[in-house]
Amino acid sequence: MNYKAKNRASSVLLQFILILISVVCLFPLVWMCLIALKPAEESLSGFHSILVLHPTVANFKRLFEMIPLAQNTFNSVFSAVIGTVTSLFFCALAGFAFAKYDFPGRNFLFYFVIATMLIPPEVGSVPLFIIMKNINLINSLWSLIIPRIATAVGIFYMSQYICDVPDEIMEAARIDGCRDFEMFIKIILPIIKPALASWAAITLIARWNDFFWPLLFLRKQSKYTLMVTISLLPVSEGLSTPWPVILAGTTIVIVPIIILYLLLQTMQESGIMAGAVKG
Amino acid sequence: MKRKLAVLLSAVMAGSVLLGGCGTTGDMQKSTGSTGSAASKTTASQTKSSGTTAAGSKQVYPAGTITIYGTGQPQYLKEYFDAWLDRNRDIAPDVKIEIVQTESYAKSREKISMTSVSGKAEDLPDATYLDPVNIMDLSQAGLLKDETEYLKPFVSQMVDGAATDATVSGKTYGLPSSVRPNVLFYNKAIFDKYGIDPATMNTFDGYIKAGEDLKAKSSGTVYLSYISPSSKTWRYWGRRGMMPQANAKIWDDSGNVVIGQDAGTKLALGTLDKMYKEGLLLKSEIMEPALYDAINSQQVATFYIGAFWDEFLRKNCQKTSGQWRVMSSPVFDSVGKAGAPVSLYFCIVNKGKNVYAGLLEKMWHDFHFDTKSRNEWVDSMEKQNAPYANPISLEMLKDEFWTKPSDYYGGQSFRKAEGDCLKNSAANLVITPQDAEADTIISTELEAYIAGNQTLDQAIANMDKNLKSKIGKAKIIK
Amino acid sequence: MKRALKKYRAPYLFILPFFILFFVFQLVPTIWTFYISLTNWKGLGTPEFCGFDNYRTLFVDNMFWDSFRNTVIYWISGFVFIILLAILIAVLLNSEKLKGKVFYKTVTFLPYVCASIAVGLIFRMLFDERSGLINEFLASLGQKRIGWLTDMSFSKVPVIILYVWRNTPWYTMIIFSGLLNISRDYYEAATVDGAGVWKQFWFITLPSLKNILFFCSITLTVDSWKMFNESYILPGPGTSNMSLFQYMYQSGFSIFKMGYASAIGVILIIILGMISFVQFSVRKKQMAL
Repeated sequence: MNYKAKNRASSVLLQFILILISVVCLFPLVWMCLIALKPAEESLSGFHSILVLHPTVANFKRLFEMIPLAQNTFNSVFSAVIGTVTSLFFCALAGFAFAKYDFPGRNFLFYFVIATMLIPPEVGSVPLFIIMKNINLINSLWSLIIPRIATAVGIFYMSQYICDVPDEIMEAARIDGCRDFEMFIKIILPIIKPALASWAAITLIARWNDFFWPLLFLRKQSKYTLMVTISLLPVSEGLSTPWPVILAGTTIVIVPIIILYLLLQTMQESGIMAGAVKG
Repeated sequence: MKRKLAVLLSAVMAGSVLLGGCGTTGDMQKSTGSTGSAASKTTASQTKSSGTTAAGSKQVYPAGTITIYGTGQPQYLKEYFDAWLDRNRDIAPDVKIEIVQTESYAKSREKISMTSVSGKAEDLPDATYLDPVNIMDLSQAGLLKDETEYLKPFVSQMVDGAATDATVSGKTYGLPSSVRPNVLFYNKAIFDKYGIDPATMNTFDGYIKAGEDLKAKSSGTVYLSYISPSSKTWRYWGRRGMMPQANAKIWDDSGNVVIGQDAGTKLALGTLDKMYKEGLLLKSEIMEPALYDAINSQQVATFYIGAFWDEFLRKNCQKTSGQWRVMSSPVFDSVGKAGAPVSLYFCIVNKGKNVYAGLLEKMWHDFHFDTKSRNEWVDSMEKQNAPYANPISLEMLKDEFWTKPSDYYGGQSFRKAEGDCLKNSAANLVITPQDAEADTIISTELEAYIAGNQTLDQAIANMDKNLKSKIGKAKIIK
Repeated sequence: MKRALKKYRAPYLFILPFFILFFVFQLVPTIWTFYISLTNWKGLGTPEFCGFDNYRTLFVDNMFWDSFRNTVIYWISGFVFIILLAILIAVLLNSEKLKGKVFYKTVTFLPYVCASIAVGLIFRMLFDERSGLINEFLASLGQKRIGWLTDMSFSKVPVIILYVWRNTPWYTMIIFSGLLNISRDYYEAATVDGAGVWKQFWFITLPSLKNILFFCSITLTVDSWKMFNESYILPGPGTSNMSLFQYMYQSGFSIFKMGYASAIGVILIIILGMISFVQFSVRKKQMAL
């Protein structure tokens, strides 16, 4: 009996702690949506902020007038999606090379790749800006994509995953006359779909949320990504943007990606993404 | 299918990477590093200087969009510009105006500098509104058009000293947009309620006493004014407010740092210190909802700030409409000068070939000298509770339009009062190319003081020390 | 040699993109930063060599030391809180008796999905001194309202909270995947032997996570030293919560003292190098034992 009660108690405690954590995780987001729906004239002080008496979408409309929402959204989507696709491809390619080929210098080069993670590119921002200027990529969305076509973390992640692909499959393909690049496309990519899916989710989120690089490289409002535009909303010397409008902006930036993430999660769970895993 | 797509995609990727990205066609032009007297000779349309309307001018401007950087609520200016373009379709058939709002004049300067450094001259705006500190910086980098010649015939028609703060080494780098004095806004209703005579606030000693009385009589609920925990305190109370009035100096005539020993600084910031220590100032960021809430509940009695504050009061504090009045700022007994004027300028940017320079000059001219269109616009602004500054043209000021009483100020004519407050104004602080950086250094120490981490004496000493170590000596340009 | 190149043409080609990009966008800028730090370049015109002037100025620049100190605080507090929380949440999520695992996994990962800039704006409202919910809550408990973003001693707190709130899920995920690799058998055997939950955690879980934790500590270190978004969007008075990287950005791209900013960049490189060296040596010692 004692054991069972103890078990029960710890189960309840477990749930309780996790619910607490969940509340902490969700609270800011829910609160944000509440405020975004409040008309700008209502009081925002203290507990008043939770009471939404007259929900309205006026804040979103106002946002639409204030900033080139459509253009900026397109910029965000473009750089996020293209960035993710290219990153996935090239990271998987390099990861494949490290995992399945035993070429001279492999170990050294692999550790070298890992070592590059230690010094982030941010420290060289000043010259990096000049390089971007010289290759004419300032104000171009490609400046956000090209430097990160292959990232060290991505290569590391992919190589670990590809390591687990059984060599026999590759042998069989090689016997069939499959050559390297073909093998990558036809054999490896389909097998590592789950890894691609989860890394795609991570990369997509990171690129969508990217702030520093767009802030640095994009100079014209029409080229800004959504994140940069939203961050510039409140800090006007003149027009003090009402808080509900600002939070409407953050809602636009946060909610779509959450929805996307949830979708990807459900797809993963239901096994649509499950490819031919370890055989 | 998916594989084929992947291959296609990678080929496209590789191709576009090789083609080096889709930035617009290169233009490593001479936009960077050119000296002050830049391309003022390019626009041929400049020859038509005097006269009110631009009738008969042959120059037709090419189709395109003009980009202007503005701070505050510049979108209201667009109304005037759009109406003007409508009236002048013959010379500008397909021209549009786009106004980009920036957070501050410093930010406009940053954006322009960054764009210039990045070599994208065509991404520079065609014009920008700037204050003198930032004009100094950009003009030294050769990014602003020299307007000295263009302005010569108009100087006598404008208020005194309109162009002074944009003139460096004899060259004027901006077209005067507004000259607005630092004034004292006060809520008469509050003063009436507690039986305090606002006229006592004509000196700073009187100002402080009024604050002490308010605090005592309202048991601490009413504050004399506000103090901002951020850089705004230095900007509004310091550089544009008490420092010029106290004849304070950051640099001496040769550019050495003297702020630590300067008597004027001690007087100016010491006054702020007295008010803050006695609890007369509400610590709340200006232009933010919290302060507006306090104003609307009659908790803040006065504002010692530039006349531009009128637009914010009208827009956000309609609850107190009719209660506010305006008077000349308090003076320091030892100096006797009222608030310094804050001048704003409309600067045309040197972007290699600025084809719209002439058009912009015309627009500027009409805005300031064409009474009819100006008054129409101001009427519209009033209806929308939008901002508008007093005209800088002496002729326009004589028009009775500019002495009309304002409802918001309980019958007092704000416009007339603003004009009156320009009298006896102090001279602004000397501006150097190092001021933009100096402002951040000074403000940092002041913010630490406001947050309670150091006394004012320590703050001033630190300002002095840091200015000396980080900047050393300023370049005084006469 | 030539034969090797020919035979291994494919893998070399595959890894080439990374190395080209690394060279152009990481190596060259990093080395160039050293050079620019020795000049007083202002972004326009030609840079003038000025030796170690920038470093001398940095040494007495209290804004630099403030942001340096702030970043150290961010690093250590981030390290402690994030790792502890991540381990806690990962262990809880991994617990066998948990119902609704998918729900909790998804929800606890959500903070990472949100942009720190956007959440920062939300926090700005939450931590407002006069009208923020947090202070309202404190007031209702009879406590004094705190100037979260206006008081120099508190202004780091919202930044740390934001940083921890947003980054913990990432490390939770990594640690969680590490936990999955620990076979349940160990725990069962331990339970049979009478070991309690805490002992099991200490002697089974933690040792198995050593590699992962090492990886986490490296990434967390690099990440916290280049922190920008959080302190940018929640500015405090003066330099009370400015991060070192933010100060570098401000020096270089707000007031255009590029030489000075590069010097800060060099300092960052040296610091990161030193910390990594220490961490690797400690690890090596650990593995040798």
